[in-house]
Amino acid sequence: MTELVKLSLSEQLEGLKTKSFSSKELTEAFLKEIKSKSSLNTFISVYEEEALKNSSIADKNISNNRTRILEGIPIAHKDIFCIENKKTTCGSKMLENFISPYSSEVYSRLNNLGAITLGKTNMDEFAMGSSNETSYFGKVFNPIDKKYSPGGSSGGSAAAVRANQCSFATGTDTGGSIRQPASFCGVTGIKPTYGRVSRWGMIAFASSLDQGGILAKNAKDAALALHCISGFDEKDSTSLNEPVGDYINEINSKEEHVLGIPKILIDKISNNSVKENFNNAIEILKEDGVKIEEIDLPHIEYSLPAYYVIAPAECSANLARYDGIRFGHRSEHASSLEELYFNSRTEGFGKEVKNRIFIGTFCLSAGYFDAFYKKALRIRRLIKSDFDKAFKKVSSIAMPTCANTSFELGSISSPVEMYEQDVYTIPANLAGLPAISIPSGIHNKMPLGIQFLGSYLDEGKILNLANKFQNLTDFHEYE
Amino acid sequence: MKINKQDLKNISLLSKIKIDDDNSASLITDLESILNMVKKMEKIDTSSVEELSHPITTTQTLREDELKDEIDREKLQKLSKEKNSGFYITPKVIE
Repeated sequence: MTELVKLSLSEQLEGLKTKSFSSKELTEAFLKEIKSKSSLNTFISVYEEEALKNSSIADKNISNNRTRILEGIPIAHKDIFCIENKKTTCGSKMLENFISPYSSEVYSRLNNLGAITLGKTNMDEFAMGSSNETSYFGKVFNPIDKKYSPGGSSGGSAAAVRANQCSFATGTDTGGSIRQPASFCGVTGIKPTYGRVSRWGMIAFASSLDQGGILAKNAKDAALALHCISGFDEKDSTSLNEPVGDYINEINSKEEHVLGIPKILIDKISNNSVKENFNNAIEILKEDGVKIEEIDLPHIEYSLPAYYVIAPAECSANLARYDGIRFGHRSEHASSLEELYFNSRTEGFGKEVKNRIFIGTFCLSAGYFDAFYKKALRIRRLIKSDFDKAFKKVSSIAMPTCANTSFELGSISSPVEMYEQDVYTIPANLAGLPAISIPSGIHNKMPLGIQFLGSYLDEGKILNLANKFQNLTDFHEYE
Repeated sequence: MKINKQDLKNISLLSKIKIDDDNSASLITDLESILNMVKKMEKIDTSSVEELSHPITTTQTLREDELKDEIDREKLQKLSKEKNSGFYITPKVIE
C-alpha cells in the first residue's frame, strides 16, 4: 500500500476514478508515511481522525459520481494558512495556541474542491528563514539526508512532498520560500504572479512580496494544484481580477519559447557545479528547439540589499499587531500596559524574527527612512524595469534557483550568509513575477534546481517549459 | 555602518522588544553586518528614479460596500486571555 504514496497527483486521481484504490486507502498510506518518518519533523499538526473521516466521505462522493476536481486527494498546508478552529502557529511561540476563527481562501478553495487536509507543515518562524532552523517547533530535516537542511521557509512542505507524506503541499514565497526548499529537496515549486493567489488568511510577513503557491512532485501536478488555488478573491484587495489560465492544457500545448539567459549573472556564479549544471540544463532545452537569447538585467545584483530593507520594513509593520492583548502570546509577567507589550513580544518572538523587526524598525526610523527605505523602493523600480525590458525580447528567463545545493544543518551562523541563499529567488518577488523551480541535477547526492521566471500572469508558459524539461529528463523522479 | 548602544535603545523602544545587555554585542555585530550588506545600494544613483512600493500597478479592487457577517465578534474575542463584557482587559493604564 505504501506504493500509492509514490504516485503523482494525476495518477492518484486516475486511480480513485477507476476505483483501483479508495481515498481512504490513499489517506491511510500517507498517514503511515507521516508516522513512520515523524523524525523528519515535517508536520506541526496532523489531523488523522478527521482526514480518515473525510476520505470516507470522498469515497462516497466518488461512488455517487459527485467527484470534484481534487476529490479524495490528501494534501498538506504550510502552517501559515489559517484553518477555522485549527491551530495555526506560523512556526512561532507567539501563535503556539492560536486557534484560527476563520479559514484562509487557499485552504477553503482546496477543501471545497474535495482535497483532504492531512495536517499543517513546519516552517521557519513567520516564514523568516532559509533553512527551517528558526521554527519554534524544531528544525526540519531533509528527507534525502537528515544531516542537511530542507531549505526554508516552506521546508516542511517541501520535505513532506519529497518524503511522500502528501500528494502536494501549499507554501508561501516572500523571497524564495517555495523555490529554494523545492530546489534543496528535489521537488517542483511554483510561486505565481503577485496577486494571483489570495492572501486572505495567510499570515502576513511582507505584504507586497508574500505570495502563496504549490510544492508538488512535478510540473503537471503543480499546474493542477495551482489552478485550484488561483483566481480573484474580493477579500484580498491586492487580488488580481483577471481570468485564470487553463494551466492543465497549457502545460502540454506546443508553445514557442524564447528563453532569456542573464549572461553576466551566470558568468559570475562561483560554484562550478551550479554553473555547469545550469548550462547543461539550457543545452537540453536548446537541443529541443527552445530559442536562447542573452539578456541583461543590470540592477539584479542590488536585489538582495533592496529586499533586506523592504521585507524587514514591511515585517516590522505587520508584526506590530502582536501586542499580547487581542490574540497570540500574552506575558504572565506585566504590571503595566507598556510592560505587557514589551514582555509579550520579547517572550513570543524568536531571534531571527526579532532581528528582522529591528532592521525594519531601524530603516523606517527618523533619519534613516530616505537613505534605506526610499532608496530600496527606487532600486525595486529599476529591477522591475530591467525585467519589463527583458520580457519584450524573451518569453521566459532562466536562472539557477540557488547558489549551491543544500547545506548541513547548523553550518551557517552568519545572518548575511543565510540571506545570500535567496540571491537568485528574490528578484521575482521584488518584481511580482511568477517563477517555478524544478530539479535539474544532482551534486554530491543533493539536488540542484533551475528556475524559470515568466512575465505577469504567464504561469502557463513557465509550467509548459518546466513540463517540457521534465519530459526530457528524469531529475524530478525519486523513490 | 556603525550601530551604537543608543541606536539599540531606540530600536528597542520603537519595536517594543527588550534587548538584553548580554546580547547587545552580538546583536550589534549581526545588525551591522546586515546593514553593511544593505549599504551596497549606495553604489547606484537613483536620484531620478521614482519609488515602487508595490509590484503590481493596477488599481486596487474595491468590493461593494455591503454589510457582511463573516466574522463573529465573540469568536474573535475568545482568542484573548483577558476580556470582560466585550472589552479587552489590559493592566492598569492610569494610576
